[in-house]
This record gives sequence, C-alpha cells and structure tokens, in this order.
Amino acid sequence: MAGQPKDFETLYVQHFHEEARALAYYQAKMEGYTALKKAFGMTADAIIDEMKKSNLRGRGGAGFPTGMKWGFIPKQSTKEKYLVCNADESEPGTFKDRDIMRYTPHLLIEGMVIGGFVIGAHHGYIYIRGEYTREAKLLDAAIDEAYAAGFLGKNILGSGFDFDLTVHRGAGAYICGEETGLLNSLEGKRGEPRVKPPFPAQAGAFGGPTIVNNVETLTDVPFIINRGGEWFSKLGKLEKSGGTRLFSVSGHVNKPGVYELPSGAYTLRQIVYDVCGGVLDGKKLKAVIPGGSSAPVLTADEIDVIADIEPIMKIGSMLGSAAIMVIHEDQCMVQLIERITKFYAHESCGQCTPCREGCRWMEDIIQRILHGKGKMEDLDLLLDITNNINGKTLCALGDAAAGPVASFVKKFRPEFEAYIRGEKRLAGHAPGHGGKHAEGHGEQHG
Amino acid sequence: MAKCTIDGREVEFTAGENLIEIARRVGVEIPYFCYHPGLSVVAQCRMCAVEVEKMPKLQTACSTPASDGMIVHTDSERAKSNQKSIMEFLLINHPLDCPICDKAGECDLQENSFKYGDAYMRTSEERRTYLDLDMGPVIKKNMNRCIHCTRCIRFGAEVAGVREMVAVSRGNNTEITTIDGRPLETDYAGNYADICPTGSLTLKDFRFHKRAWMLKKTATVCEGCSKGCNMEIQQDNNVIERCIPRPNMEINRYWLCDEGRFNYHYVNDRSRITAPTSLGGKTSWTSAVAAAKEALKGKKVLVLAGSDLTQEEAKLLIEFAPKAFPGSTLLHFGTPGITATTQDAPADTLLKRKSKTSNLNGWEKLGVKGADSIPAGTEAVLVIRGGRAELPNLDGVSTVVAIGVFNESEVAAAKVTLPGTSFSEKDGTIVNYEGREQRLRRSINPVGQSKQLGEILMLWTHSAAAAPRPMESVKGVVA
Repeated sequence: MAGQPKDFETLYVQHFHEEARALAYYQAKMEGYTALKKAFGMTADAIIDEMKKSNLRGRGGAGFPTGMKWGFIPKQSTKEKYLVCNADESEPGTFKDRDIMRYTPHLLIEGMVIGGFVIGAHHGYIYIRGEYTREAKLLDAAIDEAYAAGFLGKNILGSGFDFDLTVHRGAGAYICGEETGLLNSLEGKRGEPRVKPPFPAQAGAFGGPTIVNNVETLTDVPFIINRGGEWFSKLGKLEKSGGTRLFSVSGHVNKPGVYELPSGAYTLRQIVYDVCGGVLDGKKLKAVIPGGSSAPVLTADEIDVIADIEPIMKIGSMLGSAAIMVIHEDQCMVQLIERITKFYAHESCGQCTPCREGCRWMEDIIQRILHGKGKMEDLDLLLDITNNINGKTLCALGDAAAGPVASFVKKFRPEFEAYIRGEKRLAGHAPGHGGKHAEGHGEQHG
Repeated sequence: MAKCTIDGREVEFTAGENLIEIARRVGVEIPYFCYHPGLSVVAQCRMCAVEVEKMPKLQTACSTPASDGMIVHTDSERAKSNQKSIMEFLLINHPLDCPICDKAGECDLQENSFKYGDAYMRTSEERRTYLDLDMGPVIKKNMNRCIHCTRCIRFGAEVAGVREMVAVSRGNNTEITTIDGRPLETDYAGNYADICPTGSLTLKDFRFHKRAWMLKKTATVCEGCSKGCNMEIQQDNNVIERCIPRPNMEINRYWLCDEGRFNYHYVNDRSRITAPTSLGGKTSWTSAVAAAKEALKGKKVLVLAGSDLTQEEAKLLIEFAPKAFPGSTLLHFGTPGITATTQDAPADTLLKRKSKTSNLNGWEKLGVKGADSIPAGTEAVLVIRGGRAELPNLDGVSTVVAIGVFNESEVAAAKVTLPGTSFSEKDGTIVNYEGREQRLRRSINPVGQSKQLGEILMLWTHSAAAAPRPMESVKGVVA
C-alpha cells in the first residue's frame, strides 16, 4: 500500500491541509507558541545545546549542523544581527518548503522568533522564492496574526525581547538560494554570491552577523524546544542525523508528492517502490536523482542506499534538499542532461570564470551532440570541463552544474555515443543562442 | 613576526596581507586578473587559486589572508592545471584579435595566456558577441574582449565615487556596461583603460597610435595641479603618445585624473611656437634675443613667472631679474584667483587640487609673491612660463616679451617670443602642496628650436656685449 507511511511519528504531514493555517489551529493542535514561551525561560546557550543534541542538520542541502551554525554568531558584536530564512527553494525538484509555508506558516514564525532570540537578532527576513506568490501572501497574513496575538513585535510574551519579521520576495533567480547571493539580493544588490570569508555569521545582511537557515530547519526548532533535543535526535535512525525529513518526490513515479520520513530509515528503493508506489506505468526504472537536479545521478542498480546525507555521499552523490527525481526507461538521458545543464548555464550569475564560461560550454557541446554534430572526444572533453569547474568556483553553483554532467556521461555513456555515431538525432538545428549574440544594454534575458 | 612558506620560501608577513602580495615579495608570481591592490577583493576570475596545505580545495590567493605556519604551493600540479583551465575558459569567447588590439603587448590576458595557458584550443563553438554603445570621449569599449573581471565596476564605485559601470544580464550573457548605456561621467575615466586587464576598455586618445612595445617610458610627475601625482610619460620619435599613473601610495595611489593624463597634448601641438618670433615673424635666436632686449630697454618691467616653472628655473629668474631689469618686480602666476598656497585646496574628493600649476608651493617657499593684478605704472611685461600656467590679462600692457611654451593665439600681441621647454622636456624639481619635493624628468628633447630657460637667459645675458663669439675662440677655450 503506497503513500505516506504511518508507522512512526510524523511532525508535519498530518497538518498539511487548509485548516491548519490558522493561528487557532496551530495553538490547539500543534502546541503553537508554547515552545516560544519555554525558550524565553532558557538561556541562548542552553537552546544551542539542545539544538546540538537534536542532531538537526540543515535541510537546505548542505546538511550543516544547525546548533553549531547558531554558535558561530559572535556574542560580543555590537552590530545589528539578523536571522534570515532561506525560502527560495530554487533547486529543481524541491517543493517541501512550499507546503510548510502554505499549511503551517506559524511554525516558521515561531521557529524564527526562537532563532532570533538565540542569536540576538531583532529583525528576521523570510526570503521567499518569487514564484511563491500565494505562499508569500499566506505568510504575510500569518505574520499579521502573530503580531496581533503578541508573538511578534515589541516585548514578546512579556519577555522583553523584540522581534520583527519581514517577508521579502525574490525575483526568480536560482543563485539567490545561495546564502550570500540571497543576502545581496535582500540588500537590493545584484544577486550574486560573495567571496567567503567573511562568512555570514561574521558579516552577513547589511554587514551584521547573520544566520541563514532553510525553512524546514527553522520549523524543526519549536518541536526540539518543546520535546527536547534527545527526542528529536531519536526520530532519526542514523547517528548524527536527527529528526524526520520531508522528501519531495517527482518524476516518473506513481505517487509523487511530499513525504515525511524518519532521517536515515528508508532506502531510495523503498521510497520509490514502497512509499511512492513504484515507477509510472509499470515501466522499468532507469535512474534516480536523489537530491535535486544538482545531485549526481544514480543508476537503478545504485538505489539500495539509505536516503540520508552520509550514505548517499559515500556513493558519490548527495541528498541535497531531499528532492528525489525518478527516471524511467523511456527517458533519453542526453536530453535530460541537456535540460539540466541549460538550467545551470542560465542560472549562473556570471561573476566567476569557470561557471560563467564552463556551464555554457557544456551546454553547447551537449546540444551539438544531440543535433548530430558530436565527436567522440567531446565526451572526455565534457568530463575534463566538469573537473575544471568542480570545486574551483566562487560558490557551489559550479559544482551543481558539473556534478550531473560528469555522472550522466560516466553512467550513461552509450546513450551519448549513440547520438555521436548518428544512430539517434534530435530534429531541427542546434540552437545557437540567438546567434550567440548577447544583447545587453540593460535588457534582461529570460 | 608571523611566517608562512610560499613555494619553499619562508616569508614574514603582517596580519591581513593576502598571498598574492606576500608571494610577490619573495619573487613568486601568482597570476591574476580581477585582483587589483587598489580595489576590493572579489575572487571572481579564479586565476590566482593556489594550493594551501591542510585545505582540501584550491584557495584564491587574493582572498586568502596568510596565517602563521601556512604552507602554500603556487606551482603544484593542481594549481597549474587550474591556471591552464581558467585561461581556456577565458579564451572560449575572447576574439583573439591581438594583432589589431591596442592592449597587445601590455595585456594581462595575453601575457598570462603565454605563460600559463595552452597553445591549443579545444572549443569549436561559436563565440559570444556584443554590440557596444559609445562610452563618451575618453574610453572606447569592446565588450567582446571583456573577461568580466569587474575591475572597472569596482573602480567607479569605490574610487571614482560614481556607480556608472555595471553588470547587466546574467551568466554567460553578462555584459559589463554603463547604466542604460550612458556615456561615462567621471573625470577619472582614463583609469578604466589602465586597470582593464584586456583590450576591452581602451583610450580613444591613444588607440591606433602606437604599439605598446614601441613606447619609451620616463618616470616623472604630473604638472596638472599642485597634487604632484606620479606618472609616466610614454613617447616615440619625440612625440608623447600617452601618460599613465605610477603608483605612489602617499600621493595618488594608482590613479590619475583625466585632466592630468591628457594635459601633455600642448607639448606636440601644431600651434605651439617652437621657433623664436619677433613681431609675429620667425627669426633667429640671436636677432630675437636682441629684439627682446631692445623692446624692454629702459622700461619699467614686470617679470611674471609661471608657477609651473621648476625650483631651478625659479632660482635663475630670481637672480636674473634684478640684474637684467633693475627696479623690476618679480611675481608668479598660474591659476586665476589663487596667488598663495592658502587659497589652494582639494578640488574634489580624490586627487585634484584648485591650483592648476605644479609648483605654487615651491615659488612661495622661495619668497616670490603671486600676481593678482598688473601693478600700476607697468610699462612692459616679461612673461615666462612652462606651458600650464594660465596667462593673466595683459591687454593694457603695450610691450610684452614671452619666454617659454605658448601657442600662437596666446602671444599674438607679444613683441618677441622665445620658445622654452615644457615639463616633459626638462629635468627639475617641483614642490607639491604638502611640501613634497619631486623630480620632473625629461622624456623628450625640446621640440623644434625650443631651448631650456637657463640657455635662454645665458644668451640674453651675454649677447649684450657683442655679437656671438666666433667658433674658433670657443674651440680654443675647450681645448
């Protein structure tokens, strides 16, 4: 029987319905804002300690331990500090944060007030993906509710702690999901990553010490405060990876959607076949991308791996934002990597050399191959380019573009070779990027 | 003191220094494009990535501060392979039009390509092209050559104080341009060409004039104002082709204003008087000097000396004037409204100062006063200047004799003009507004028949006694 498994405790999915949005529901059914009250009775260090015990690792993709991250904020700093929620959710295949914000916005608000209290920030920002217009409105409404009820604003719950929260909508750039790119965009600057160091914890938004956390990371906080780090840690089935985790499953699968599973409890195969009801139309599974389109692809033989950070890293891919994309036998892998590479080339901010030049070069080569103009040496050239990008760019976008190309070429080489030998060919001419004429003069290209 | 090791060489450093600068001190060159010591660090070109022990990834040397005990390898296999790959990436879309590019010969992209790149290309893709709009009178842009280092954007925002260069579009289509394609506004625009590491921004004033390697270079000081910015004159065939800034951290750092940069144009200008003239007609030095002396004979003479003249020239005039014209007055001139250093002040927030001559302070130190008007009773004026000082109004003066650098219209009314030398044709000392003594160096020979002031005054002093001595007697003296 496919669908959300019910044999363990879930925190989120039972509340993913329209009625859950109201403050009254949140308080009645989800112990709403009790964690906040409890947190005000604790010291910041005690909360950070609890966070460390929880083994909560960032849910945005990098998997950095949240408690440790919060501890990086310099206590002595006299500069204004900020807590920023990364709700850009721009990694293709990821849509879990959308559900959280859509159905349980107060969870995010409460998590942010607690986070702000811990790091000493009096202003929080939710940087939300520009396309999430509905969620931005829902968040704004929830924030109004919270202000009216005294959970935001001055002297929250009589604690003497002030916290304001602002929703800031992005304008649709993948790179603004990178934390320093996000901060630049938040400040009204061009959305491109900053050179690190300084890290945001030293100098982030508007020059002040800043913590940037993913939505799901912050919404885990009230649960941890209420029930303890140890309890949260034990929800996970692996050491150093606590809590449940929301998986966004999409692609050629019978029941795509958001699923909540204990960290480290399920293999990819179990998720595809048991939780999500198997491959669409009963077709054969060809591949799985385990962590958003930037994660190196896994073949159908590689999916007996626990879907968590360390196990997937060990086999050369990544869990990322836990966005699982399922690919069946009819999918042409060359066309798929062309689409993925086109995305990263388009989303490259253009400031650093390997990403700006390399991503488009890879895209050009793959398109050439698709249109029957490839050469056998192009495949090794592609691998060489990925090697020259990987780990050598200013931010992780370069790696995000290089990883998939390398894995596709290595694992599905015969499909590329078929195009090169002329056995397959895409109709039409290779698009030359408008004659490769980069018109500019203030014009933005879609 | 903290020490780190770069390619096996131990080197001391002060906190905050980056690896590029430290390596430079021990003779290790780390190649880079986007880094510039006078601008913020962005680590965008990735060319300077080096291997640092105990760090898994290559680190960009520009953005990595050294730490005690750090061991750096700039020439490891990984670092070298990264340099090679960055060069490959940068050249995918570069037009490689070096033979017709003005930057060739002094181009970072070209030099690093030879040193660190591969001679073969692996790309067969069509190159990216852009359309360029006019950037105003100073800079010619060629976006196709651009490598997106963003030095120009940072120079405008951080140094010139005007956010006029920007990046528009994104990714591979990123275009470095002015906001809305408007012409540049800053009066420091020439620096854009200096800092551009490739031929994307070149000087309209210089392009297609000379190949960079043909230029002879002389380190000297700008005479454009009392700041005394350090600069280099570049000439070929006794014609100045270009002036560029020389770094001096205590004065102009890395920059030069456009006024100072393009000031040299009068030196080789066609309208410059480069032969002695008497009553508007060319004549010989002997008869011109004789005519000049005749014109001033017995008159109440005012000697007006430009504060663009050097200390050495000032000393000569201070000695010469009372002897040649007993009872005469010697005053200096240069910028209308500014007769003393107390009236001099910064003219902007970067380099420029209000005194538009280089040696106002020097003249003042020698005790000469500035002229704010022509004293009553003046019958004749002997005006001497280097070429930069702005002439006072001499309309009411019946007799004017001019020594120095003038153009035809300036001395149309002069009885006699004796052509002298500009700042680029002589050696000498100038004293800037803060009392810093700096040397002007001769970069070209005096143009035409122009002579140094010392030589002119010598002719003046000795020609009164008799006609020039015959050559035989000179030979006798020398022998």
